[in-house]
Order: sequence, then C-alpha cells, then structure tokens
Amino acid sequence: MDTLSKYTVSFGASLAITSILSALLVVVKELNENSVLAWMKGLTSHHWITHGLLMVIAFFAIGWGLAKINNGEGLKITPERLVCVITSAIVIGGLIISGFYLAY
Amino acid sequence: MTEIILMAHVLFGMLCIVAGVWLFVDVLHANEANQGRIRRVSIAVAALMWLAYLVGGYWYLTYYYVDKAIILKGPWPFAHSFFMEMKEHVAIMLLLLATYLPIAAASNTAVNKGARKVVLWVVGFIVLIGIAIDGAGAIIGIGAKVALMATKG
Repeated sequence: MDTLSKYTVSFGASLAITSILSALLVVVKELNENSVLAWMKGLTSHHWITHGLLMVIAFFAIGWGLAKINNGEGLKITPERLVCVITSAIVIGGLIISGFYLAY
Repeated sequence: MTEIILMAHVLFGMLCIVAGVWLFVDVLHANEANQGRIRRVSIAVAALMWLAYLVGGYWYLTYYYVDKAIILKGPWPFAHSFFMEMKEHVAIMLLLLATYLPIAAASNTAVNKGARKVVLWVVGFIVLIGIAIDGAGAIIGIGAKVALMATKG
C-alpha cells in the first residue's frame, strides 16, 4: 500500500516547483531593482512581503491545479520520485539563493 | 519591546525545530496508536513556523533597518549582505516545507511506507534548514555586536 494520496503528490510537486520559482525570483528581483523589485515594493510596501505572498499563493494554486489533472485523480508519481523531486528542488533552490548572495 | 519580539521569533523557531525532531522520531516508529499525535504535531510544526515567520517578519520590516545600518558599517558586513539576505529568502522555502508537512502527514504513515518516507524527508529538511537559519541569525546578532564594539574602540 505505497500509493500516495493525490494531495501528497500534487502539493509535494507544488512545493518543489515553488521552491525553485522562489529562488529564481530572488535573482530576477535583485538584478532588476528599478523594474521587478520596485514593482514588488509598490504592491505591498516591501518586496519581501510580496515575495512571500506570491509564493504561498503559487504553492496552493499549483498544488490545487495538479490535484485536478487526470480527470480529478491528480498527478501520479511514485514516493521515491516525489522524494527525489522535493530533495532536488530544496537543494537547488538553496544553492541558487546562497550562491547568488555569495557572488552578488 | 523590540527584544521581546525578537526573542519570540527565536523561541517559535526553536520550538518548531524541537517539534520537528519529535515528529521525526514518532514517524520513524509510526503505528496505528500514534497516528493522531503525528497529525497534531505536524500541524504544530506548521503553526510554529508560521508564527516564527510572521513575528520575525514584523521585526525585520519594522526595526531591523537600524541593525542593518550598524552591521554594514562594522567589520562583519557579510552578516547582513550574505547571512540576512540568504536567511530571509531561505525562510520562505522553509515556510512552504512546513505548510506542506500536515498535508503529507494526513496519510496513514503506519501502513503507507511511501507516505512515511515523504514525511521523514520533509521534516528532516525543516529541522536541518531551521538549525542553519538559526545559526545565520546568531551570526547576524554577532555582526551587530562587533560593529558596536568597533565604534567603542
């Protein structure tokens, strides 16, 4: 009985996608202070609030969307692959953020 | 008052790590009897992380600019330019991991080995990243301290 629930898989995949998106948004906003960073500041008064809000909304929206595919059965992947996807995304996301601020 | 807010941020973060270790051990020994507790502790981990994030975020947005200016003029400017910048963005990933945890822990980890594996990896990341950014917070504090010491000669 090793089948994961559709929400475990869908929101797990969403976690991986959102973690990478968040790391990429760090690079994009820092390299585009006058456009992206200024827009994010203007939206909520601080870019960090906007960043957090966007990522939480993306996490739930992508997870909910992935749970609806395959006629409502959701995304289908094995537990081992889901763990691999989440682990890779967290490590790569962490390396992007750390590497960027080391170099920036 | 600002110190109390900052200490509350650290307290919630540390409690989140402790609850995470508790959950890790409970899931390693998952059985039918501890399923309810596993779900409750997973919700507690998520709630404590949200509290740490919101309280820390309030302090960061309201008071940190003073510390930032001091740190950047001191001998450890990297305490802000690397450690704080990295911490504030890795914390968003940590928040997402903690938010996902109760969703993964809703499965029966006593009979579903796949779900157990997912929960163990997610809570393991929460604990390890939590310890790492707690250490980053300590370096930021020392960055402010050495900057103030430098101004005193």
